[in-house]
Amino acid sequence: MVMPPSTARQEAEAIAQNVPAERYDRVVRLAQAIFGAPIAALNLIGNESQFTVASVGYPKGETPVEDTVCHVTVQQDEMLEVRDLREDERFAHIPAVTGSPRVRFYAGIPVHGQSGQNVGALCILDLVPRTLGRQQREMLADLGALLERELAVQEEMDLAGQVQQLMLPAAAPEIAGVEVAGRVQPAREAGGDYFDWFVVDDPGGAGKRLQVALGDVMGKGLAASLIASEVRAVLRGHSTYTDVGDAIARTFITTRHDLEANNRFSTLWVGRLDPVTGALDYVDAGHGLAIIASRRGYRRLFQEYLPLGASLEDDWTTATDVLADDELLVVVSDGVFDVLDDSFDEVEARLDAILEPGQSCRQIVDRIVDFAVTNAASDDVTALVARRVPEDRTDAGDDAAPASSTT
Amino acid sequence: MSFEEVDQGGYVVLAPEGKFNLVAAPPVKARIDDLVAQGKANIVVDLHAIDFIDSSGLGALIGGLKAARQQGGDLRIAAAGPQVKAVLKLTNLDRILAPYETVEEARHDW
Repeated sequence: MVMPPSTARQEAEAIAQNVPAERYDRVVRLAQAIFGAPIAALNLIGNESQFTVASVGYPKGETPVEDTVCHVTVQQDEMLEVRDLREDERFAHIPAVTGSPRVRFYAGIPVHGQSGQNVGALCILDLVPRTLGRQQREMLADLGALLERELAVQEEMDLAGQVQQLMLPAAAPEIAGVEVAGRVQPAREAGGDYFDWFVVDDPGGAGKRLQVALGDVMGKGLAASLIASEVRAVLRGHSTYTDVGDAIARTFITTRHDLEANNRFSTLWVGRLDPVTGALDYVDAGHGLAIIASRRGYRRLFQEYLPLGASLEDDWTTATDVLADDELLVVVSDGVFDVLDDSFDEVEARLDAILEPGQSCRQIVDRIVDFAVTNAASDDVTALVARRVPEDRTDAGDDAAPASSTT
Repeated sequence: MSFEEVDQGGYVVLAPEGKFNLVAAPPVKARIDDLVAQGKANIVVDLHAIDFIDSSGLGALIGGLKAARQQGGDLRIAAAGPQVKAVLKLTNLDRILAPYETVEEARHDW
């Protein structure tokens, strides 16, 4: 059996993994209605399986590739039309022909991926032999082209989402005495939420500091993610040379045009921690969702400043606190807060769960994000958790997973 | 989402309903921009029928506020519910977009 090039099959598998539920169902329903056929499907041809990612009259899921008609369709450039599958020796033996639903007629148009190779086919099936007219063939080709466009958009979005995820810090910061973890769960493939951490030298020459940031650019999706990437990069740049308040003020000056031209604003919370003393400098630009929590209670680290881009400039001056070595710094995005009815009473009621002893920062972050996602957060959801791990506290080694970030 | 619009002469009241989010915000923002372009830059957004606002909704209000002020007008919000007030307070945007209890209070000097 001659199979299409394996890069196409890899591409098909990648698309199949990421197909949002019901994404292509409309086009498939349209095909089914136009042709009055009992079955219509979009099938992607992977290495060993055909993935039915959208269908009417036939279950979604995987079929061994040799038991499919579409694996032949993807090997040709033109439409494959088989009047009666029972009378075609290539297909007479396959289970959908010999058994339920006993299909007889097949017409499928190959669908290209971004690479230009065929990744699958849009097909219609009938339980009686039939033949398509010229106009019907053109119609099927048009619907195939429509799906191709959709697939291309999805592939682009998936790639954008990957780029954004890869820009998140993945490795533990190179600084002793601190544990940190973060996670973003975008509502779409990419989004306006992000977190960051990196090591900076204290501008006063007092040693290394861990800087953490969590930002939320208004809106969702790819457009918001472009602005988020810019704010993140500019903040990184300025942070190397100055304190956090000044870094935010300079970040606003640098990004102002782009924020205003796009009518977007970004909330931003930035903290800079001295792991040795626990001294924590921070600035809250309209974010409002950072707390320090411990068994003794919690306090908010918030200021009265506006988000970047909401108005003219603001003062954005550094405030200070101290993170005791039994305390957690927790910063989340409003996707989490919305699930808590935008209420700090609800936050307080949930604190026990994240303060349960023996959890790593990674586990706490997962707990927060999973909680929000499970409770049907409609927005991007982000959490960042940090704590000091004094080097003489060796028992922390069991739980203190290395800093991490995931999708 | 459709929304009520009442031109009171000296000001215009817009009253969106339901969730003021990524879906609902752009048409409201577009309408504000239209009004401002027509010289009707005094606008009250009556939020009594809004039960939820997200950052896109806030963005539309802030964008509208900026547009109105650039033309010498203002955009004010009235009758915001608890969730809207909480979000405005959280983001400190109540500093530039003070919530009025009623449309009457919001338009007091127009």
